[in-house]
Amino acid sequence: MRLRCLLLVLSVAAFSPAHSHSASDAYLTLSADAQNPRVLHGQWDIALRDLDFLLSLDDDGDGKVSWGEVRQHLPAIERYAYGRLAFGTGEAACTVTPLRRQIDDHADGAYVVLFFDVTCNRAESTGGSLKMSYSLFFDIDPSHRGIFLLHSKSGTSTAVLSPQNASVSLSTGP
Amino acid sequence: MFPVRPPPSLVFALLLAITAAAPAAALAPPYRPPYQPASDADLLQEVPSLEDPAVGAMRARRRTLDATPHDVRAALALANAYIDYSRQIGDAHYAGYAEAVIAPWTALPSPPAGVLLTQATILQYRHEFAPARELLERALRQDPRNAQAWLTSATLHMVQGNFAAASKACAQVTNTGGLELGLACLGNLRSYTGQAKQSLALLQHAETSSTGASAVYRGWVQGLMAETAERLGDWQAAESHYRAALEALPRDNFLLVAYADFLLDRGRPREVLPLLAAQSQSDTAFLRLALAADALHAPDSGRYTWTMAARFEALKARGSDYFGREESRFALRLGHDPQGALQLATRNWQVQRAPWDARVLLEAALAAHEPAAAADVIAFIKETRLEDPMVLALAQQLGALP
Repeated sequence: MRLRCLLLVLSVAAFSPAHSHSASDAYLTLSADAQNPRVLHGQWDIALRDLDFLLSLDDDGDGKVSWGEVRQHLPAIERYAYGRLAFGTGEAACTVTPLRRQIDDHADGAYVVLFFDVTCNRAESTGGSLKMSYSLFFDIDPSHRGIFLLHSKSGTSTAVLSPQNASVSLSTGP
Repeated sequence: MFPVRPPPSLVFALLLAITAAAPAAALAPPYRPPYQPASDADLLQEVPSLEDPAVGAMRARRRTLDATPHDVRAALALANAYIDYSRQIGDAHYAGYAEAVIAPWTALPSPPAGVLLTQATILQYRHEFAPARELLERALRQDPRNAQAWLTSATLHMVQGNFAAASKACAQVTNTGGLELGLACLGNLRSYTGQAKQSLALLQHAETSSTGASAVYRGWVQGLMAETAERLGDWQAAESHYRAALEALPRDNFLLVAYADFLLDRGRPREVLPLLAAQSQSDTAFLRLALAADALHAPDSGRYTWTMAARFEALKARGSDYFGREESRFALRLGHDPQGALQLATRNWQVQRAPWDARVLLEAALAAHEPAAAADVIAFIKETRLEDPMVLALAQQLGALP
């Protein structure tokens, strides 16, 4: 039966172009330290749903991720996330120091919040043009976007980080 | 140079201060800062469960691909499973995962037809219709006997209101995929072009001659029959087809949302809440929950509206604007902003032209007292002889039809 064979392989997605969204976003905010020009404070909100796909957070497989399960996986989460965020230029080297981890409830679900400091060896690296490279999830989901916000003395600027726009130069000086 | 976009506005005020978690059961207060959960047992997020057979099947296909990473068939099997799941649960993440799975082949100078088709399906899912069309045409040049590519092409033409082109594509579906599939394609098409009665007969034929077909096929055809019955104003038949469709595909986000719209139109919002309770991660489903809560004057309706607004803002922040139909409806019904709704509906009409797209534009034009803004839609309705009592009633109210 020709029809039946064909119907078995037809993909349901072909039938309707209706989409339903909630694509993957993460929110990254950096704030220049008020006193120390070598330091930036960071907050990074990453969706638990995304992390579950990659790192299988749901240990008991019940379809729900608990705080205990998140805590269990925090070292893996941080290893993964901080491995995909880099600061520096040719001469300026910066270190990322992980701080506390919390949870934030966004409109589309719960996010783990990673707080961190970026400390650079030279003031001009944060005051001048410091390069930031971001590659969270891009290899498993090219439609992921990092919604980036930078607060500095000169005001606030924003960018949408994508595989095509994965690094930005931060200008935090006056 | 820092690539600067407009300074933060409401968008970021919302995004960074965002909260309001899982709807229905446990709506969080509209705002709370990041927190430390009180106990390890606190449940934070629903995720696909391993008990779901679809999840198990995706994992198995992933293992196959991991074992044979250069096998394009294994990659397509996994990518298509991700796309189906994305549609089923109304979560676009899986369309992104599918894109990553086929990336090694899409990067080739001349990807195989199957890869082009899957890539086109992902773009179509994101309403990137023009590039999706281009990929489909390339796929069909390589493999002119690919029935699924023809069917996808027909669907794409239909949603954009290109009915003559859709008719040609349906003829190719018949040539390459067989009579029954061709009838279903034509049946779908005729429901848009003043031949809904004939459409129903064709779909009926496609339905009965496919005994033993997959649940996906039955659910699809029953869903088309439900929409066609709605076009004929036969609410009873529409309802029984929706139920039959959902019997075949009980958790299909697209069908659930279409049935929810039917219930909202029929003044039955109370039934929408349990229907979509498990679908709140889908933005399309969430909008219907918000509309139902509003219609019921439910105590948590403000939170639904707030959360929906925040989700739209999040989409805007990432640069997506392929959500015009829903956003216009939201602006009109829950944002009480007819002008904004009209702008959104007008832009959406440039991209897609299904009956619902006509409807949101007419509703907004009526509410904004701008009948002239509906001229394009009215001309389209007359030209295509669209039958749809909901749409025609609006056109009459606008004084455009007798």
